[in-house]
Amino acid sequence: MRFLAGLFRGAQRGEATGGVGSRLARRHRDSFIANARTGETWRLLIGCLLLSCSVWGAVPADHAARMESGLALFRSEIGSVLRDHCLECHGGKRVRGDLDLTTREGLLRGGSSGSVVVPFSASESRLLRLVGHEVEPFMPERRDPLPDAVRQSLARWIEWGAPYDAPLIEGKPPHQDRSVVTPEARQWWAFQPLTRVEPPDAADHPIDAFLRAAGREQGLDLNPPADRSTLLRRATLDLTGLPPRSDTVESFLRPGGADYAAQIDQLLDSPAYGERWARHWLDVARFAESSGFEHDYDRPHAFHYRDFVIRALNQDMPFNQFARWQLAGDEYAPEDVQAMMATGFLGAGVFPTQITANEVERTRYDAMDDMLATVGSAFLGLTVGCARCHDHKFDPIPERDYYRMLSTFTTTVRSLVDLELDPVAAKEQRLAHERQRAVLHQHLVDLETGPLTAKFDQWLAARPELPLNDWTLLEITNAESKAGAAFRRLEDGSYLVSGANGDRDAYVFTARTPLRGITAIKIDALTHPSAPQNGPGRAANGNFALGRIRVTAAPATGGSAVEMRLNQPRATHQQNEGSLSVASSLDDDARSGWAVDSGGIGKDQAAAFAFDQPVDLEGGAEFVVTLEFTVNTGHNLVRPRLSVSTIANPELGLEVVPPGIAALGQRLSRLNSDERRQVFEWWKAREPEWVAANARLIDHEGKRPTGKVPVMVCAEGFPPIVMHSQGPPFLEQTHRLKRGDPNQKLEVAEQGFLQVLSRGEDGERWKWAPPPGSKHSGRRRTLANWLTDVESGAGSLMARVTVNRLWQHHFGRGLVATPNDFGRTGVPPTNPGLLEWLAGELVRQDWRLKPMHRLIMSSAAYRQASGADPKKLAADPDNQLFLRFTPRRLESEALRDSMLAVAGLLDRTMFGPGTLDEASTRRSVYFTVKRSRLMTSMVVFDTPEPLTSQALRPVTTVAPQALWLMNNSQVRAWAEAFAQRLISTSNTADPAVWVRNAYLEALARLPVPAESEAAVAFIKAGYAKPGNVDASVARTIALTDFCQTLFALNEFAYVH
Amino acid sequence: MSIDDFASMNRRRMLRRAGAGFGMVALQHLLLRTGMAGSVRREGGGTPHFAPRAKAIIWLFMNGGQSQVDTWDYKPELQRRDGQALPDFDPKTGFFPGAVGPLMKSPFDWAQHGQSGTWVSSLFPHLSKQVDRMAFIHSLHTESNNHSPALFMMNTGTTRMGHPSVGSWITYGLGSVSDDLPAFIVMSDPKDRGLPKGHASNWTAGFLPGVFQGTWLKPKGEPMENLRRPGGLGDGRQRAQLDLLEHLNRLHMAQSPVEDQLAARIDSFELAYRMQSAAPEAFDLSREPESVRRLYGLDQAHCAPMAAQCLMARRLVERGTRFVQIYSGGMDNQLSWDGHEDIVGNHGGFALETDQPFAALLVDLAQRGLLEDTLVVCGGEFGRLPIAQKSTKPGRDHNPHALTVWMAGGGVRGGTHYGETDEIGYRAMMNKVSIRDFHATLLYALGIDHERLTYRFQGLDQRLTGVESAHPVRELFT
Repeated sequence: MRFLAGLFRGAQRGEATGGVGSRLARRHRDSFIANARTGETWRLLIGCLLLSCSVWGAVPADHAARMESGLALFRSEIGSVLRDHCLECHGGKRVRGDLDLTTREGLLRGGSSGSVVVPFSASESRLLRLVGHEVEPFMPERRDPLPDAVRQSLARWIEWGAPYDAPLIEGKPPHQDRSVVTPEARQWWAFQPLTRVEPPDAADHPIDAFLRAAGREQGLDLNPPADRSTLLRRATLDLTGLPPRSDTVESFLRPGGADYAAQIDQLLDSPAYGERWARHWLDVARFAESSGFEHDYDRPHAFHYRDFVIRALNQDMPFNQFARWQLAGDEYAPEDVQAMMATGFLGAGVFPTQITANEVERTRYDAMDDMLATVGSAFLGLTVGCARCHDHKFDPIPERDYYRMLSTFTTTVRSLVDLELDPVAAKEQRLAHERQRAVLHQHLVDLETGPLTAKFDQWLAARPELPLNDWTLLEITNAESKAGAAFRRLEDGSYLVSGANGDRDAYVFTARTPLRGITAIKIDALTHPSAPQNGPGRAANGNFALGRIRVTAAPATGGSAVEMRLNQPRATHQQNEGSLSVASSLDDDARSGWAVDSGGIGKDQAAAFAFDQPVDLEGGAEFVVTLEFTVNTGHNLVRPRLSVSTIANPELGLEVVPPGIAALGQRLSRLNSDERRQVFEWWKAREPEWVAANARLIDHEGKRPTGKVPVMVCAEGFPPIVMHSQGPPFLEQTHRLKRGDPNQKLEVAEQGFLQVLSRGEDGERWKWAPPPGSKHSGRRRTLANWLTDVESGAGSLMARVTVNRLWQHHFGRGLVATPNDFGRTGVPPTNPGLLEWLAGELVRQDWRLKPMHRLIMSSAAYRQASGADPKKLAADPDNQLFLRFTPRRLESEALRDSMLAVAGLLDRTMFGPGTLDEASTRRSVYFTVKRSRLMTSMVVFDTPEPLTSQALRPVTTVAPQALWLMNNSQVRAWAEAFAQRLISTSNTADPAVWVRNAYLEALARLPVPAESEAAVAFIKAGYAKPGNVDASVARTIALTDFCQTLFALNEFAYVH
Repeated sequence: MSIDDFASMNRRRMLRRAGAGFGMVALQHLLLRTGMAGSVRREGGGTPHFAPRAKAIIWLFMNGGQSQVDTWDYKPELQRRDGQALPDFDPKTGFFPGAVGPLMKSPFDWAQHGQSGTWVSSLFPHLSKQVDRMAFIHSLHTESNNHSPALFMMNTGTTRMGHPSVGSWITYGLGSVSDDLPAFIVMSDPKDRGLPKGHASNWTAGFLPGVFQGTWLKPKGEPMENLRRPGGLGDGRQRAQLDLLEHLNRLHMAQSPVEDQLAARIDSFELAYRMQSAAPEAFDLSREPESVRRLYGLDQAHCAPMAAQCLMARRLVERGTRFVQIYSGGMDNQLSWDGHEDIVGNHGGFALETDQPFAALLVDLAQRGLLEDTLVVCGGEFGRLPIAQKSTKPGRDHNPHALTVWMAGGGVRGGTHYGETDEIGYRAMMNKVSIRDFHATLLYALGIDHERLTYRFQGLDQRLTGVESAHPVRELFT
C-alpha cells in the first residue's frame, strides 16, 4: 500500500473530505505537539498524517510511546546516520530525485520515484531496501550498503514512527504547498494589473519624457537627431526590411522634401511591412513547414499560417484578436478563412512521424506541451513549460496550473481542411473552367464530324486489312489487386489502375475465352498520363517490374484449374538481360523480373509467353492470370491488357483488335450504320489527332477547380493528420502527471489557468460553451478569453509583452531585455514607467500596432543619432537608457532581401507556397521552412532553428558569413545584376557616376570624396587588367567586383 | 569567471576566447553584460574545469543500433538457450510486436583476444587486435525503442527534438584549437545511403547560438559550401576586393565611434580568405603516403569509403578540430545497422565496411602520438534484443535496455570492461550507465564538469545532462 505517496496531497484530500480530517487532527494533535518544533507546518503535517492513517488504518495504538522512543534514537544515532550518508545529495548541497531528508515532512513525502518510508512499518519502507542494495537505485550511490547494524537501527526508528527532533539543517525553510500561489508570489511586477501612469513631462513626447527623466538622474540626455538619410534608411529597413529606393532618398533629402511622418505612414501602408514584421512573429511562433523527427515530412499546407500573419499585420488587426484567432479562430469565426488559417499557430511545432506503442502517450503530452509552452512564451513571456515536471522553480506556476492549462488542448489536433480562400475568385474559376471544357469538347466533336469522318471514309474505301489480328483480347470477368488498387476498363480493353500503389502488389485477372488451341498469352504494359513519366509503371521513375507471371486454365464449362507452364519469353524492350529481363519473370526468384527502364519508359511495351502445350478445351477456357510485382517497391503496372493467340508464332505487337471488330473485318465495305459507328469508335482511338484532343479534354475535366484549397489548421472536430503511429492521435483525457511521466498519472486535469494571472475570478467569466451539437470543446476560446482579458485575466501581461516586442525591433533591445521571460529569471524593465505607459497605450489604441509604430517612431529617441561621448559611454555602456541609437546588424532575411532589391531582382509576389530554391528572387519570408533543410543563406546569418519560441536572435560574426559574401554564386549573380542595372540606368561610362548611384541605391547616401576616389580607382584598375575580353565586358566585371564589395560593407549589413 | 569579470575584460578578447573556431570572430549578444537569458555563462570561460584527459573526440556512430550480443557482449548462456522462449517478454519492447521470436544465439564465432582476454565476435578481425586499447561499457541503457528519439537521446540527452548536441555543447564549452577549420564536424554515411533519422537535428546547436552547430561534410562533391571562388573571380581580383572593403569600412568607421562588432567583421573577411586554402588542404587525402592509405583500406572497395572518412577525421583532429562524428549506415532499415532481418548479412556487411578503417584509426592515432589526446568512441543509439525477429532470415529488433559502447585513447584504460548485462544480454544489470552518465563521461574526459557547463535559456541554466543526476564513469580512465 502506498501509504505516503498520498501524503503530500493530504492537504487537498483534507479539503475534499470536509471536516473529517480536521476533527482527527484536532483530536490527535496535542499528543504530538510536545515534540514538534516547526510550528504550523508541523501541525498541519500531523493532521495530514492522521488523516491518511484514518484512510489506511496503519497507526498503531501505542504510537505516542513509540514516537518517544523513536525521538531518542533519532537524537542518539539516526540523525547522524542521515547526515553522514544521505544529506549531501538529499537536502544538503542538492536534492537528488526530489527527495529531501532535511525534515520529517520531506522524508515522508518521498521523492520522484515514490515513498521511501512508511512510518511504523519497516517492511513497507523502501529506504531499508535501498540502503541494503536490494533494490535500485543502490544507496548511498556508488558506495557500499550501510552496515547491518545501522540498517537495524533505521528499521527500529521507522517502526517507532520515524520522528525528527528538528530539521537536519538549521533554518532551512519548511516545505510549502506550492500548488497554491501565495500573496507574496503575486507581488511580482509583471503580474500586476495595468496601472495608469502619466508621462513625467506633459509638454514632451511621452516616450522622450520617460527616457529623459531617467537620463537626468545620470546627468544624461538624448543624442541629437540623426541626419535625414540615416533616418530614412533606418525607418525604411525597420518597417519594411528593405532599403529605401534611390528616388525616395533623393526626394526626401531635397530641401523641402517629403515630411517624415508622411514617410512613416507610407511605409506602414506598404505590403512589405507585413512581410517584415511577420518574420519577427514567426520566430516567436517557432513556425516551420515540416514535422521534424525521423522523416521530417513536409507540411505542404502550413504556409497559410504565414500568410495569415502577413495579412493580419498589414490590415492592422488588433493584437487581441490576432491572439484569439491563433488559439481558437475556428471557435470565434469558423466561417472566416483567415481565422481558420490562424490556428496553424498551435500546430507549427515538431511532431514525430513514427511513434511506437510505448511512445504514444509521451508523444501526445509532448505535443500539447509544445502548444502550451509556445502560448506561454509568445503571449505572456512566461516559461510555463518549466512546470511540467515540478512546480516552477522561480515563478509562481504550480504544476497543477500547468496541467489544468494543458488540458485546454486535449482534443486539439492538426487537420487538413478544404477552404474557399476567395469565394468570388473561386466562382469565376469554375465558370472559366466550364467555358474551356465546352471549347475542348466542341473541338473534339468538330474533329470527329469533320476531318476524321472524311479520313475514315477514305480508309474504308481503301479496303483495309485490320492490323495484326494475331492476338485476341481476353474478356476479363474479374480484376483484383492484393494491395487494394482500383481497376477501370478502358475502351481498348486495357485496365487502368489507380488508387493504392502497394509496396509489392499482385494483380489477379480472371478471363474467359471461347477460343481453342491457344498457343500464347501477351501482357501489354501500356502508358497512361496518370503514371509518373506516363508509365508504363507506377514507380516514381515510370518503371514496373514483373517478378512473376502465373497462368492457370480451367474448362470454361467448369472443372479444375491447371497451372500452365510458359516458355519463349519475348518483349518489346527489357531493362537488361539478367535480373530485369523478361525471362526472369518466369524464374522462382521474386526479386528478379521484367522491367523496362533504360529506354523503355513513357512508351507502350508488351511481353509474350508461349504455352508449353496449347490450351485446347472444349467450350473454351477460363484463365486466371496473376501478375506479381515483387521486385521493387511500388513497381506495379498502370495499364495492363491481356490477350491470347491461336497461331504458332504470333507477332509481338501492341495492336489488338477487339473480337467484335474483328468479326466485322471481312465486310468493312458493307457495314450498316450501327456497325459503322462501332468500327469508327474503335478506329478513331488509333488516330493521334483524336487521341491528343481527347487527352486535352480529359485532362481539363480532371482539373475542375473546387475553389477550395487544403489548409493545415490545428483545431477540433476535423479528421486528424495521422502519422505512422501505433496508437490514437490524441488521448481522451489529460491527467496531471507525476514528474511529467505519462506512466505516473495523477488526477484528471480540468481546464484552468494560471492562478497568478486570475484576479478574483473563478473561471466562469471566461468560459465559452459551444453551441449544442458543436464539434468544439470550447476550451481554446475559453483560454483565449482569459488571455486577452485586461481586467481580471492575463491581458495586462500580454499588453506589456507585446509592446516590449515592438520596442525590441525598433531599438534592438526590449525595455525588458528578455522578451520571452517576464518572470523572475528575466531582466526587469529598464524603464518600468515607460513600459507601463506603452502597454496602457496599446490597450487604449484598441490593440492596434500601427499607431504604436507611429508613436515610437515619432519620438526623438527613435530619431536620435548613434554614437556617444565618453561620459555617456562610461555611465551607460550598454545603452540601457536608450539615450543613443545602437547600430545593429540586419537579420538574414533583410540582408538578402536588400541585396535582391538593390540588384533590381526582387520579385514582390506575395503569399502562396514557398520554395527551397536559393535562387528564388522572392522575399526570404517565402522560403519554405523545412526543419531538416534550413536555407544556408538564412542560417549563416543566425536565423534560429524553429523548434521552440525564439524571441532574440543571436548576432554572430563568423568567417562563413564572409565566405558566403565572397564566394557564393548567388551573391555574385546579384552583384552582377546590380552592375548591369547601374550601367543601363546611367547613360554614361563614367565610373564616378556609377559609384554615386551605387551608394545611393545601396546605402541611401552619397559617397564622400575619399570613398568615391577609392571606388573609382578600383573600378579603373579593373579595366586595365589584361585579358581577352572587350572593354565593355571588362567594365561590367570591374563594376561587378565593386558591387559585390558594397554588399560586404559593414554599412550595408547594419542599420545605423 | 563571474559576469562582472566578463564586463571588465576587453570585450573583443573575450569574444575571441568564446570562439567556436572555424572563423568564429565574435559572438556578440545584446545581453552579454547583463548575463541574462541567452547569454554565455560558462564557468571557466572556454578553459576546462580540471585537467583534461582528451582534447578531441572522434565518435563513430553505429547508426541503426548495433547488436551488443553479436559484437562485444559475449553471452554463453544465450548460446545455450537458443530457441527457447523468453518468459514474460513484453512484445512492445522492440518495434515489431508481431514478429517476436525465441531467444537466438549469436550466429558468429567468438574468441578471446589480447592480454585482456576480451571476447570478440568474428565480425571484427582487425579491431580484435586492438582490444587492449579499448574500454567497454556494457551496461548502457536508453529511453526509447524508436530510432529518432533514441538518436536524439544519444546525441542531445533528451528524446525530444531541439536540444543542443554533445558536439555543440563541447565546442561551446571549449572552442576550437584551430581558427581555420570547423570545430565540430559531422560525416554522414560514407556510402551516401542517407542521413540518420532526424537528420541534422542530431548535430544541432539547439538553443545555443547557431555557430556551435556541427558542420556536415557532404559525402559526395564539394564537402563544404562557399570555399571556392565563383567562376571568373581570380585570386588577384578577390584580394583587391578585400583591400577595398577594408579601406571603405575603415573610412566609414572613422566617422562613427569604433564598435567592436564592426572591427570583428573586418577581421572575419581576412580569416575567410585564409580558410579558402586551409580547409581544402585538410580534406585532401591525396597528401597521405601510400602506406597510410593502405593501412585504412583505401585500396579496398569494401571499406574504402569509411577508410576515407576515418583518415579525414584524423587529419581534422590533427589540425585542431575538436569533435568529429562519423555515421556508419544511412536512413533505411537495411541500409544501416538496423538488422531487423538477416542479422548475419546485415551486421556482416557493415562490419566489413568498418572494421579495418576503425582499427587503422586507432593504430594511426597511436603512432602519431595523437591517441593519448583523442578519445575515440563507438556505439549506436540502442542495442538489439537477444530474441529473434521472425523472418526467413531472422534478425533482431530494437532493445533500449542494453547497449555496448567502446572507447579508446584519451586516457582510457585499455582492456577495461565496465558494467554487465544479464546472462542473456537483454538488460543492463550491474553498474548501469544512463545516457546522461555517458555524456557526463565524455565531458569528464575533456576536463569539463557536466554540472558547470550551462547555458541560460527559457529561464533555466540548461545542461547537456539535464536536471536528473548524472555521474561520469571515472573507472574507465587511468
